[in-house]
Amino acid sequence: MKEINYLSASNTEDALSLLSGFGENAKIIAGGTDILVRLKDNVIKEDTLIDISGVRELKGIYEDKDIIHILPLTTHTDIIESPVICKHLPILRDAVKSIGSPQIRNRGTIGGNIANASPAGDSIPALYVLSAYVRVKSREKERMVSINEFYKGPGQTVLDSNEMIVDIVIPHMKEQEIGFFRKVGQRNAISIAIANVAVKLEVSGENRFSNASVAFGALAPTVLRAKLIENALLNEVCDSPEKLLYISKLSEREVSPITDIRGSASYRIEMSTNILYEGLLLMFLKGWKR
Amino acid sequence: MKEKTNYIGHKVNRLDAIEKVTGEIKYMSDLYFPDMLYGKILRSKYPHALIRRIETSKAKAVEGVHAVITWEDVPGFNGFGIATPDQPVLSKDHIRYIGEAVAAVAAKSEEIAEKACALIEVEYEELPIVDNPIDALKENAPKIHENGNLCLHTEIKRGNIEKGFQESALIVENTYYTGRQEHAFLETEGGVAHIDTDGTLVIQVGSQYPQRDQLQLARCLGINPQKIRVISYPVGGAFGGKDELTIQPILALLTLKTGKPVKMVLSREESIISYWKRHPFIMHYKTGIDKEGKIVAQEVKIYEDKGAYSSLGGPVLNLAVEHACGPYRVENVHIDGYAAFTNNGVCGAFRGFGVPQVTFAMETQMDIISEKLGIDPIRLRKINALQKGDTTPIGNKLTTSVGTLKVLESIEECNLWKRRNELSTQDPKKPWIKRGVGLALTYQGTGLGVGLPDYGGAKLELREDGGFTVKIGTVDYGQGILTAYAQIVAETMRCPIEKVKVTLGDTALTADCGPTSASRGVYTGGKASIIAAEEMIQLMKNVAAPLLQASADFIDYDNGFMFLKGEPLRKVSYKEIANKFIDDGKPLPETEGYFLMPIADIEIKNAFGLPHHIFAFSAHVAYVEVNTLTGETRVLQGAEAVDGGVVINKQGYEGQVEGGFVMGLGYALMEDVIIDRGQFKNVNFSTYIIPTVKDTPFHIESIPVINPEDTGPFKAKGIAETVMVATAPAITNAIYRATGTRLYRIPATPEYVYKRLKEVENEKAHKGH
Ligand SMILES: Cc1cc2nc3c(=O)[nH]c(=O)nc-3n(C[C@H](O)[C@H](O)[C@H](O)COP(=O)(O)OP(=O)(O)OC[C@H]3O[C@@H](n4cnc5c(N)ncnc54)[C@H](O)[C@@H]3O)c2cc1C
Repeated sequence: MKEINYLSASNTEDALSLLSGFGENAKIIAGGTDILVRLKDNVIKEDTLIDISGVRELKGIYEDKDIIHILPLTTHTDIIESPVICKHLPILRDAVKSIGSPQIRNRGTIGGNIANASPAGDSIPALYVLSAYVRVKSREKERMVSINEFYKGPGQTVLDSNEMIVDIVIPHMKEQEIGFFRKVGQRNAISIAIANVAVKLEVSGENRFSNASVAFGALAPTVLRAKLIENALLNEVCDSPEKLLYISKLSEREVSPITDIRGSASYRIEMSTNILYEGLLLMFLKGWKR
Repeated sequence: MKEKTNYIGHKVNRLDAIEKVTGEIKYMSDLYFPDMLYGKILRSKYPHALIRRIETSKAKAVEGVHAVITWEDVPGFNGFGIATPDQPVLSKDHIRYIGEAVAAVAAKSEEIAEKACALIEVEYEELPIVDNPIDALKENAPKIHENGNLCLHTEIKRGNIEKGFQESALIVENTYYTGRQEHAFLETEGGVAHIDTDGTLVIQVGSQYPQRDQLQLARCLGINPQKIRVISYPVGGAFGGKDELTIQPILALLTLKTGKPVKMVLSREESIISYWKRHPFIMHYKTGIDKEGKIVAQEVKIYEDKGAYSSLGGPVLNLAVEHACGPYRVENVHIDGYAAFTNNGVCGAFRGFGVPQVTFAMETQMDIISEKLGIDPIRLRKINALQKGDTTPIGNKLTTSVGTLKVLESIEECNLWKRRNELSTQDPKKPWIKRGVGLALTYQGTGLGVGLPDYGGAKLELREDGGFTVKIGTVDYGQGILTAYAQIVAETMRCPIEKVKVTLGDTALTADCGPTSASRGVYTGGKASIIAAEEMIQLMKNVAAPLLQASADFIDYDNGFMFLKGEPLRKVSYKEIANKFIDDGKPLPETEGYFLMPIADIEIKNAFGLPHHIFAFSAHVAYVEVNTLTGETRVLQGAEAVDGGVVINKQGYEGQVEGGFVMGLGYALMEDVIIDRGQFKNVNFSTYIIPTVKDTPFHIESIPVINPEDTGPFKAKGIAETVMVATAPAITNAIYRATGTRLYRIPATPEYVYKRLKEVENEKAHKGH
């Protein structure tokens, strides 16, 4: 492990000015659950870490009318334990519950999961279908980026080296909206996704939807929205398991996975279909109710 | 009839529990010495290569570097290996696997040592790679060792195999594959070497047999073994992976070279790449059965992926050959086993020692037969069960306690098995979730087998406080022998267990008790302790006699006192007896107990170590749930009925059953070190997948089957291996019961299960047309 400078920020302004001072040479560390692994593997090119874990104003969940704000240092455990999230964003809760182990969820933050930009990051597909926005700030300016536009590739985001995430903004799920998150991994915990999927549907009538969002993870260089499937869910009457399977099979046209140590590309493609199908089928069997 | 005991057969808390959970215990990796250096090993870049040149001058010039060593610095024999010492301590010219040690550095800090390692220049010439045991044995295969790639060939023929197959009503023939399991002990190979004030070289590295380490080290270092002290306890897990030497010879060389204490603790990655794994097997099985379900013939061909060096690969093959037909009566057999060198890392000892591989194959065969003939799985096994007095498939007569029928009868009564039909259904709400209950049976030899020196030893000291210290060379690496030894001494000496201290694994202090392996720890150390204790009782009676004004023959003892038979109030405490020794100016007595392990009365020709004489038996049941959309398998519940003779510690027994079942679960469903063209692909716990608590069943029932073995300490045998061995086939048989899909390969990862589900579905669709 290489030697590295370590600086601790006491508030947002402090963090931002350190960031703009060091530029490309610095990296933010929040919970450290991704950074420390990479540090040990000697793949961190920056030589300074700016620790923001002590910045209290960047931690917490609050509601503003029907908008939920999750601040970036909110841990996965905080999210799982939040009644607001449980009530209004159950898809996110399920996604976050599948991350790592209690130890990892106690330390790992949502901001870190977003910024780390792993194609297999579990909160990300949920944030996609929930139409989340990420508020990004530098010392000079501030901007809102849709999560759909946040990623450029594996490990790559639109963040500039002097920017950091300061807020995650998500609208409440509506009453008639339902959904799920599902992942397949190599075991039941501490398991990186071989494939994952988040789905949100707005029920408009019998077996019909007025809105459909489907996002897959670990199946392409970034998390992706499955447009063909979304269109099919919007335009078809989803009144039988056969129909759901037919729609789910469209995933083969949406994903472009790789083969790695965790799973082959062909298995991943089949899983994209089957976990989507399994989730849709379960909702169908429940009468498309929450 | 049950004798009243104070400790044997009870639930006794581990004596080392508190120091372990509080972290107070100091493992060797925790030790620090003033002025200590750090060691680092440079390992080969290629899986198969010749070394053309090694240049160390740049590394030596780094400030803070105290020594850089290569093969030229090995003063003695540059090789180690328990069975055949063919593995170089530091490689001279021929590299045979990617983790092979080429050079080593001792420096002021780990970082400096690492930096210096990077500055050692090694010129290699790459050689073609041998990456599986079948190719390894082909005539034109690149030679890994001078004599070719055959490490060992063991063949056993009995009866008339052709006639047997002719008489069979059914022949089942399949090929099976097993994975390369990693021991995954918590503490990686680590420790410190230093030179004592009297010049003794002290090696403190957790291992399974200090006296053998001492001899192997003496040979490498070319020094008198008496000048080497090996302390091998405490050790943070071993499971067979610390039976062979690991870092010890290099640590010793660095210390001798620098004269300073040197410490080394391997990273998980280095540990996984460099040292032992469970041998992957490829096995062809052909089984012939008559109409009644009797096995009449069995042909087995085994290919063992030995990896680059011998270590214990030969004995592993032979144990596999011995157990290849399971605990069944088979008259006509042909077992043909090959251990072949490859460039796939190194494999060695691992809990079960060849038996988990063949048990997976054999018990899948039995499940297939049971279904094809419509005979209940337990009945089929009872029809064929080996019993006391029977001749085993390899030709020796079983004369010790045999529990085949007893474990089957016990498991038949367990809740999971009784309810197996109602449990083996699909989920009514999620019909793609399918559940099933499966069974498997196995047995496992206790001890090393014929032809190998196999003995137990223990020293017992009476302390001034009237308590006892028992000193045994085996180590407790989690299995609980420390507590078992204390129970055995307390029971025999009839004193409170709190009065017994246990010293383990130290060549300077403890008796040579052989290796802590082969399920032999309790048997050997326990029995030797009893012998030492009985002698101690006699010595103490002799001292008590004048104090009690009686002849030694009239003295009885209990609860820490010696007293007159029939007159318990005329007594002296053990402490008073100890003080009497001191008052008389005599040293406190230390007794020693030694014995030779009973062995079978015949030797199997051309099969070193075979047969074994004493066996433990176990029947395992697993209840699984398979998601047929993804291939994900959960083991919901498990049960094991285990005949280990008499149970010494109920708590230890349960711990072994639960731990063994979970290790077997990992072997069945997820564990496999993947090596591609000699390169390791999953070298830490991010990608080498072992079960987490969320993958373990919510209940594992442990059913002790008490089947006394007269030769054992308090009639015990050893259970530490058998408890994990039959779990994998119990799980894969349960997957079959749930889904109708046979698995011929472990680990049965979700991807493999899914692939097989689809293959079977396609076969069915094909037949339908
Ligand atoms: C054993 C283990 C298991 C894991 N399992 C899972 C899993 O199942 N699913 C999963 O998705 N992940 C998993 N992870 C990955 C990791 O825990 C998560 O991605 C976590 O959310 C990262 O958060 P952190 O606060 O620890 O990030 P850090 O490690 O502190 O940072 C991660 C990255 O985000 C950047 N960053 C952090 N905060 C900000 C910010 N506010 N603004 C801009 N950039 C920022 C950092 O610079 C860094 O590049 C696992 C990790 C481990 C070690």
